[in-house]
Amino acid sequence: MALILVVDDEDEVRASLKRRLVREGYTVVTADSAEDAANKIRMSEEPFDAVVTDMCMEEADSGLEVLRHAVARDLFTEVIVLTAYGNVSNAVESMRRGAFDYLEKNVPGVDTYEVLVMKVAQALERRRAAIRTVRRLEERAAQQSGSGTA
Amino acid sequence: MPDVPVVRVGPLPGAAASSRHRYNPPVQTRACDSDGGCETSIFLCELNELFSGAVRSGGEEAFLQEALELGMRAVGGDRAFLALVEQSTGDLVVVKTAGLGWTPETARLRLSLAKESERGITGHVVMTAKPYRTGDVTGDPYYLPYFRDVLSEIAVPICGTSGQSVGVINVESALSHRFTEEHEHRLVAVAHATAAALRVQGFRARESALIEIGNNLTTTLDIDTLMQKVLAVAADMLRFEDCTVFLADDANEYLVLTASGGSLANRRGETPYRVGEGITGWVAEHGVSVRLAEPQRDPRWKGLCLEFPEEDIGALLAVPIVGRKRVLGVLRVVRRKSPTAWFSNAFSEGEERVLNTIGRQLGAAIENVRSYERLITAERMAAWGELSARAAHMIGNRTFALKGDLNELAYLLSQKPCEEIRDEIQELSHSMARGVERLEEILREFRDFVVATQISLAPCDVNALLRETVEEIFPRRSPVKLTLQLAPDLPLLRCDARKLKRAFGEIIENSLSFQPDGGELEVSTCMMSPEAMLGLGLGQSRQHVAIEFADAGPGIAPDQKERVFQPFHTTRAKGMGLGLSIVKGIVEAHQGTVREIGTQGQGARFVVCLPMEHGTHETDRE
Repeated sequence: MALILVVDDEDEVRASLKRRLVREGYTVVTADSAEDAANKIRMSEEPFDAVVTDMCMEEADSGLEVLRHAVARDLFTEVIVLTAYGNVSNAVESMRRGAFDYLEKNVPGVDTYEVLVMKVAQALERRRAAIRTVRRLEERAAQQSGSGTA
Repeated sequence: MPDVPVVRVGPLPGAAASSRHRYNPPVQTRACDSDGGCETSIFLCELNELFSGAVRSGGEEAFLQEALELGMRAVGGDRAFLALVEQSTGDLVVVKTAGLGWTPETARLRLSLAKESERGITGHVVMTAKPYRTGDVTGDPYYLPYFRDVLSEIAVPICGTSGQSVGVINVESALSHRFTEEHEHRLVAVAHATAAALRVQGFRARESALIEIGNNLTTTLDIDTLMQKVLAVAADMLRFEDCTVFLADDANEYLVLTASGGSLANRRGETPYRVGEGITGWVAEHGVSVRLAEPQRDPRWKGLCLEFPEEDIGALLAVPIVGRKRVLGVLRVVRRKSPTAWFSNAFSEGEERVLNTIGRQLGAAIENVRSYERLITAERMAAWGELSARAAHMIGNRTFALKGDLNELAYLLSQKPCEEIRDEIQELSHSMARGVERLEEILREFRDFVVATQISLAPCDVNALLRETVEEIFPRRSPVKLTLQLAPDLPLLRCDARKLKRAFGEIIENSLSFQPDGGELEVSTCMMSPEAMLGLGLGQSRQHVAIEFADAGPGIAPDQKERVFQPFHTTRAKGMGLGLSIVKGIVEAHQGTVREIGTQGQGARFVVCLPMEHGTHETDRE
C-alpha cells in the first residue's frame, strides 16, 4: 500500500493524522520538523508516494522546505500542505512549486480529516497516472529505438 | 548724648579680596571732615567695595548689613535701619539695623503704609521714591517718633527696575541739622548699590529656579507630578496668589483645567473655556502671552473661571504652553489687588518673560511625556499582536487534535456496538478531556499576561523581595548551588512586589530547569553605573537598579537571545513557553528592561534593570 510521510511539530497532530491515515490502510512515517523530514525523505528505501506537511513549524514557511526535499527525491511525490490558520501568500507559493493542494486545519464545521483522506486518494491517483504515462513513454521510446535501427 | 559720633576707621571687612582698591588711611581717632562723617576718598573706596560685593554671590545678608553700616558712616549718623517692602502685604519690614539703641522689638518693626497718618518720614520716602531729610524732626510734618533722642533724619529709597521703591535706608542722628546735600548724595549711592545687589539676587534666584524646573521637566514622565513640581517652583520664583494650568483637549476645542495651585483644585477636569473664550482662551488661540493690571476691564474678559472673586483680582499673567507645532494650553497666574494704593501688584515684563520660558519648557516636557506614552502603547500593542498570533497557532493545533479524536470516536461508533469498543471509547474520552485542558492552559497564560502588565506601585525593598522569592521557590535540597550578592544600601524601589516576585521566580525556575543535574545560580543586585546604563542602551536621566541572575547552565545562543522573551517560545519540556514573555511584560510595565547577556556554553545571565523614579502611572485594574 502507499507510503505516506506526515510532518508536523505538534505531537498530538502527528498522532491524529497517522491514526486516520492508517485506518485507510496506508503505511505512515512521521517527522517532527522540516529537517527531520528531509532526513527521512533522503534515507527512505522507497520514495514516499505522498507527503502531508504542516506549513508553519520552525520557520513560517517550513512546509515549502519539505516540498522542495520531497520533489528533489522524486518528482512525482504528491505533497499536501496543512496550516492552522489561512496564509494566502504561502498557499499560492506552495501551489506554484508543485504541491498537490493546500488545506486549512481549522475550518468551522468541516472535518478536515475526511477532506484530507479524499485529497490523499486523489493525489495518489494522480501519481499513479503520472507514473503510468512516463512508463508508457519509456516503453515506446525503448521499442522505437529497438526497432528503428539502421 | 555724645557730641561727636564715633566713627570706625579703615576698610570694611571682606574688602581684603580686592586688594587693587585697598587704601590704607592713616590711623586716626577722629577721621572727620568739617561736616562730620568720613572723608570723601575713603567713602568712595568703600562704596567701590560695596558695588563689587553687590554682584558677588552668596552672603546677601552680610551685604545688606555692610551697606547699611557704610551708609550710616558715610553720613555720620548714630543709628540706621534698612527696611524692605514685603511684596505680599505692601508693608515695610525692617531687615537690618545699625548703631545704638535697638531693642529686639524695635529691630523687627513693621510699618503699614495704608494709613497716611502712620507712615512717617520713612513711609513718605517709600511712597514718593524720593530722598528726604530733615534737620529738626520736632517740626517736621512727616516725623513719627520711635526713639527719643532723634533730631535729624535722612531716608533714601531703594528703587527697583520700574522706579518703584522696594525698600528704604533710614539714618538718624542726635544732632540737629546733621545731614547735608552731600550726605544725601552719598546715601543715595549706597542705596543704588543695594538696589543692584537685590536685583542680582533676584536674577540668581530665578536662574536656579529655572534650572530646577528644567531638570524636573526632563526626568519626570508623569504629567500630574510634572505639573505640581512646576507650579511649586514657579510660585517660589514669581510670587503670585494662585496659578492654574489649562491644557487643550485633543480636538483643540476646549481647555481642560489640568492643575491648580490651590483654589481651583477641586475643579480639575472641567472645561470652563473654549479655545478663544475669555483672556485665557484668547491666549490659547493666539499663542501669545497676556499681562494685565486690571484684567476685568479688558474687552476679552469673561470671568468664567476665577481663583478668587472678580473684584479681588489685581493682576493677571497668562502665557501659552507651546509644543513643537501647536499651543498645548495656557499657564495662568493671578495676584490680588494691592492692599495699598501706592504699591502696584502688577506683573512686570521680566516676570512675563520668565513665565513664558516656563510655558515653553512645560510644552516640551508634556510632548515628551505624550510621545513616551504613545511609544509604550505601541510596544504593548506589538507585544499583544505577537502573543495573539502565536496563541492562535497553538489553539489551532490543539483544536485540530481534538477534532481528530472526535473523528475517530464517530468512526468507532459507526463500526461496532458500544460494548465491544468500551475501552477505546474510554481512552478517546480521556484524550479529548486532556485536549480541552490544553486549550484552557493557553487561556490561562493569556490571562496571566494581561494581569502581569497591570501593576500597582508601592515602595519596597528589592533585596528583601529577592530573599523572599528565593525562599519560596528554591527547593530545600537542590543540586544547584545558590549565592546571593545583594548590595547593602539600595534605596526603596517603587514597584509591584507581587508581580516582581513572579518575574524573579520565573527566571529562577527557568535556570533550575536547565540545570537538572546540578549547577550554580548567583543572584545579585546593585545600582547601575552610568557606563553600565549606556552599555545597555538605557537613558541616563534616571537611576536604575540592576538585578542579575547568572547560572552555569547551557546558556543561550546569540540568535536566541531576543527570541527567548517571545511568547510561546520554549525549549523546556514543561510549560508552554510563556514564562519569559511574562517576565518581559512585567518588567516593561515597570518601565524597565530585561536582557540576556551571557555566553553560550558558559551559562545564562539575565539582567533586569528597573528605574528608581516612575513616569506614567499604572493602576491595578482588576
